[in-house]
Amino acid sequence: MAEFSTSVRENGDISIINLKGFLDAHTAPTLENNFTQLINDSKFKIVVNFEDLAYISSAGLGVFMAYIESIRDNKGDIKLTNMSDKVFNIFDLLGFPLLYEIYKNEDEALKKFSGS
Amino acid sequence: MVKISRNIVTTQLQLFLLAASLLFIFKIFFGSSDSVYLRIILDLLIAASIFFLLIALIRFENSRTTAPLSLIMNIGILSAIMFFIITFSDYLMPNIFDNINLKLKNPGLVYDIVSVFYVLVFIGFVSYFLLTLRHFFFLNQGRNIRIYFNTMLVFFILASLSGNFFQAESVSFLSSTFFIVSVLLMVFNSIRISWIAFLSKKEKIYLLLLSFVITTLFIVNINNSSGDNIHSQMLNAFSPSLKQFNVIVMVYGSIYFLILFFTTLFHLPTAEAFDRKAQEVTSLQYFSKLITEVLDFNDLAETVTDIAQKLSGSKATWIIWKNGAKQNSLAARNIGFVESDKVTNQILERISFENLTSTRTFNLKEKISEGSTSNSLSVVSVSPIKTRGETQGILVAAKGSGQIFTQDDLNAMETFSDYASVAIENSRLLEESIEKERLEKELDVAREIQRKILPLQVPRYPNLQVASVFIPAFEVGGDYYDFFKISETKLGFVIADVSGKGISAAFIMAEVKGIFESLSKTIERPKEILIKANEILKEALDNKTFVSAAYGYFDLAEKKLVFSRAGHCPLFLLRGGDSKQIKPSGLGLGLSETDYFEKTLEEYSIDLKENDTIVLYTDGVTEAKNELLEDFGDKLFLEALQSNINLTAEELSNKIIKEITVFSSGHEQYDDITLVIFKWQQ
Repeated sequence: MAEFSTSVRENGDISIINLKGFLDAHTAPTLENNFTQLINDSKFKIVVNFEDLAYISSAGLGVFMAYIESIRDNKGDIKLTNMSDKVFNIFDLLGFPLLYEIYKNEDEALKKFSGS
Repeated sequence: MVKISRNIVTTQLQLFLLAASLLFIFKIFFGSSDSVYLRIILDLLIAASIFFLLIALIRFENSRTTAPLSLIMNIGILSAIMFFIITFSDYLMPNIFDNINLKLKNPGLVYDIVSVFYVLVFIGFVSYFLLTLRHFFFLNQGRNIRIYFNTMLVFFILASLSGNFFQAESVSFLSSTFFIVSVLLMVFNSIRISWIAFLSKKEKIYLLLLSFVITTLFIVNINNSSGDNIHSQMLNAFSPSLKQFNVIVMVYGSIYFLILFFTTLFHLPTAEAFDRKAQEVTSLQYFSKLITEVLDFNDLAETVTDIAQKLSGSKATWIIWKNGAKQNSLAARNIGFVESDKVTNQILERISFENLTSTRTFNLKEKISEGSTSNSLSVVSVSPIKTRGETQGILVAAKGSGQIFTQDDLNAMETFSDYASVAIENSRLLEESIEKERLEKELDVAREIQRKILPLQVPRYPNLQVASVFIPAFEVGGDYYDFFKISETKLGFVIADVSGKGISAAFIMAEVKGIFESLSKTIERPKEILIKANEILKEALDNKTFVSAAYGYFDLAEKKLVFSRAGHCPLFLLRGGDSKQIKPSGLGLGLSETDYFEKTLEEYSIDLKENDTIVLYTDGVTEAKNELLEDFGDKLFLEALQSNINLTAEELSNKIIKEITVFSSGHEQYDDITLVIFKWQQ
């Protein structure tokens, strides 16, 4: 199957997850583990960088839905950045821009966190 | 078989009893006669008794298997009894005979009866000793051993008889010659004792003590038999040959047990090593059987630690298994999970899974006291368990303070962990293939559900051509479409895609169908229907599952199409030479609460014109991939639609599907493909 990997970086109190490859029903658990880990560590300010993500399926989108409520309940947020047009298009069709803040690059998202 | 051998035993016993009875009668009639012929007949009768009893005992012995140690124990008991009889006869017999002489008229007869019984008892003893020694002798394997033994027996008989019949000075040397040859043959036949090698150390110590006691008893009994006591006198009076034979068999016994004693003594230092090797051989045999038999992973892990513990002589064993980023203890044997985790932590401080490629041993920095025992664990050996060339687990064996892992232990653990790896890999592969089969069955069910949910045929309306094509993916993709005949002039339609795949997606599809079927009967406006559907699905679905959908209706009387889109692919409108992608705002169903969903949802209305073509689809169409992993995409899709715009809806849908199929022929279809086309013709 298609490859998928993630890496997590810290920037102050903000955690940045980089996605790489194909995010679908088979690879989604990797990202789910990242979110679970961050929530367990009480890190609720999360930026997800889509720069190296080639493809996302509906099940991949579901991962973001699964954690957003508990993160926002803890005054945190998931902000999405660096999406390719193709990936953005998939998010856009489902109306995700109405539910998530999506930025062109990481800096904008980081600024938004520190500003609020 | 058993019955037959019983019968033979009975026959031999009957012959023995016959010979014994003849002996009895003979003795009563002829008493102690000096006639050579009578003595020969007497000795023949004695020989016959011994022979038949021996044969009966051999047959009986062959019909069952007895451990050598219990036979030796029997000999010990019998020789002890013999010792007591000989000793007590010295004190008791004179008294008994004195009493008999005083009270009875015919003391000679009573004396004969008593002596015959006494002799028969000793015939029994001698036969049993001979039988058992013969049994031990035949435990050795070799060529012609039967000949060696029978030759020895012949010399026994010659030595016994010669003492009786060649008493003259000139031939007395014959008796001693036969005796010496017999003794030489006894020694020769006793030196190769190999069966004790297979005994455990404990059994060897037991055997050592037993053989010492038996040797002593035999020597004492020989001494008592050849002296001038009552026992010796009685046997001698009855038949000097029998007395001699008795002594010879006892000499054989004492020689055999003396040699046995020394052989065992020399085997003792290596007994432990031998035990270990024997244990290893059994364990490895047991384990190679396991590779083909135990298939459940947990059972296998239990067996692995069980065998490893016996193999290495450790106090405790367990497996550290890598489970994603974590490690956990499996199948701990003779140790609690709390203690094993403590040791595991110390081990993982020293080594990592990656750099453990062969068995190693080291001392624990911090000793772990284990359970109620006072002896604490202080040294461990660790062996890798590899699957797919990677160390996936560590087999740990721990010993208490004062114990060490020898090179032999480590070699055994190394070999054993290789076996364990193969077995675990096997069980994992099997589990995988079972899982795969289960998944395929599940997908069959899912496809069946989907097939039943989707409409069998498209509705027919006078001015509206309707066509639909659905191609399922191997893993059911969760596509759903349907038509609802609202009235003679109104046709409702829905197209939806459930997130996720397989059987769970199929069940949600069924739920979605139910929702739209019932809502379309009571509510007309697409926006309201989608709001209701969102409300229901937000409750029903878990928070990572959602459904994209578009719902609308054609009003044939008003020549109008009204629809709303909840996160689904846009609708294409092809009119004249133009094409338009219509994408009113709307969130996927199940993503957000009613208020927000309602606020962001738009409704779109189109006034229909002649030859308007309306195309609905799921992302399986635009995301169909070629071998370069390029998408079919909006652009190719639109081009294909436009260049075939003059075809009927039916023809157009088939044409498009054909184009997609050609495009993606180099790549497996990953998602369901659904295409619904309407064409308005007044």
